[in-house]
Amino acid sequence: MSETKRETVIEVRDLVRKFGSRTVLNGISFTVEKGDTMIIMGGSGCGKSTLLRHIIGSLRPTSGSIKIFGEETTTMSPQQMEKLRLRFGMNFQFGALLQSLTVGENVALPLIENSKVDPAIVDLVVKMKLELVGLTGFENLKPAEISGGMRKRVGLARAVALDPELLFSDEPTSGLDPIMTAVIDQLTMDLTQKLHMTAVVVTHDMASAFRIGTKMIVLGAGKRAGMIIAHGTPDDIRNSPDPEVQQFIRGEPDGPVPLKLAPEDYIDRLLGHDRDKGLSY
Amino acid sequence: MAALRQFLTLNAQILYWTFVAPFAGKPTVRIDAIFQQMVRIGVQAVPMAALTSLSIGLTLAMQGSHELARMGATSYVPDLLSITLLRELAPLLTGVVVIGRSGSAITAELGTMKVSEEIEALEVMSINPIRFLVAPRVIAMIIMLPCLVVFSNYIGFVGGWIICNFALDINTTKYIMRLIESADMMDLISGMTKSFVFGWLISVISCQSGLAVTGGAEGVGRSTTKSVVLCILVMLVVNAILTGMFFIIEGPKG
Ligand SMILES: Nc1ncnc2c1ncn2[C@@H]1O[C@H](COP(=O)(O)OP(=O)(O)OP(=O)(O)O)[C@@H](O)[C@H]1O
Ligand SMILES: [Mg+2]
Repeated sequence: MSETKRETVIEVRDLVRKFGSRTVLNGISFTVEKGDTMIIMGGSGCGKSTLLRHIIGSLRPTSGSIKIFGEETTTMSPQQMEKLRLRFGMNFQFGALLQSLTVGENVALPLIENSKVDPAIVDLVVKMKLELVGLTGFENLKPAEISGGMRKRVGLARAVALDPELLFSDEPTSGLDPIMTAVIDQLTMDLTQKLHMTAVVVTHDMASAFRIGTKMIVLGAGKRAGMIIAHGTPDDIRNSPDPEVQQFIRGEPDGPVPLKLAPEDYIDRLLGHDRDKGLSY
Repeated sequence: MAALRQFLTLNAQILYWTFVAPFAGKPTVRIDAIFQQMVRIGVQAVPMAALTSLSIGLTLAMQGSHELARMGATSYVPDLLSITLLRELAPLLTGVVVIGRSGSAITAELGTMKVSEEIEALEVMSINPIRFLVAPRVIAMIIMLPCLVVFSNYIGFVGGWIICNFALDINTTKYIMRLIESADMMDLISGMTKSFVFGWLISVISCQSGLAVTGGAEGVGRSTTKSVVLCILVMLVVNAILTGMFFIIEGPKG
């Protein structure tokens, strides 16, 4: 990889987000340069999707700054945001396809609504994008008629329909078989390497993370919840001295993130001794 | 009163996307989406609206003839029908039908889209959900509710005619003559004004409730129920206000 200075596409500084009294993101800072594939890792529920939601402007942070293409988005008007969003694609964790439209119409939607292309060309582009994710011939099915993994791939096809400069992908390969995972990984790499797209990918799949990532961050749990506990190139992460990071990338059940609580704690929690009300449903 | 402010903002946004955006070079509300909603809200409600207004026409004529018979004035049954149907019952009952059929469906549909992140996905694709989802529904309902009311008026009169023709001594010609004589322009104007206002209120309230859903499938159910209750309440109160306004404008009818 060349060491020339590349354009900064995303710059997140001291991002803090609280939901009520819970701090889900606690001082997140990182940058993503053009052509990078930034991998966001961390335990389930640690705030990865929430972090993406802040970057795409669906949520506003409690404090901190987010710059995309050099523009501060946290204070942007909805009109400016709408314009900026034409340059992104987002692949949601659960697809977020419009249930009332067919697969083909879903992929066509950004094209029809945001560009003035001819209907014949829209058809062609839809076919091309579905082909990319291995879903040729599924245009006329409704999202409810396809599998979860297929829905995600449609989500990815829709995210890249307008050939965005910046692609966000929330767990694009979870629930996919190994071959399809490799296809999606290859697609992400092609987009970043050949088309110089920038990608931010949330994933739990270590093999795929190390295959496609050029930069990584790991979000912590427990005491370090909502903070970045490791940050750098895939090699930096692999060689990280942090035991929690090692536990995570090796997928070990027990370590700094405990498998189970100590027996006393367990009984206390179970019986609700350390709470005022105990369990309530 | 945050809800009221939201209601006003939503109205402003709908007006913007319908009337301003097309001239500002912005994407417009899609005509095919409006037609699709018109079919769902209007055309498909025809059987239900027909049954409702037929029943009410029959009932009104029967009850009315009872009362009027005591004064020997059964020939006024058509007059009674024309005023009550045109001014009050057709708009109200068609409103109730549309709230039950379409208002609830709109809230549930938009609410489901909200909780399944579809609305968020639209926003991220720079597709304004107000333009794309809300405006077609509101426009369609404002057009179709008055149409349904006109239709209900006719069917209600058919109900009245069945009673007058077969049970009372009023034949078809006489029935129609009396209807035409008794109904004046203001009856129609008042009923139509109401149906426009109801269409607007029902659709905007239903959309607003849908967009405000939080908390998964349970939240969708809760909001839908609340929205239906709110629509009916608002409709009845606004109906009283509008009747009051027409009462003041026209004075007591002589
Ligand atoms: N709207 C919200 N209100 C309150 N809490 C929220 C909200 N959204 C997210 N959270 C909380 O933020 C935390 C992080 O959620 P998030 O969905 O970002 O996790 P995640 O890292 O994407 O997990 P997963 O890997 O399972 O997708 C969760 O504990 C969740 O309870
Ligand atoms: Mg997530």
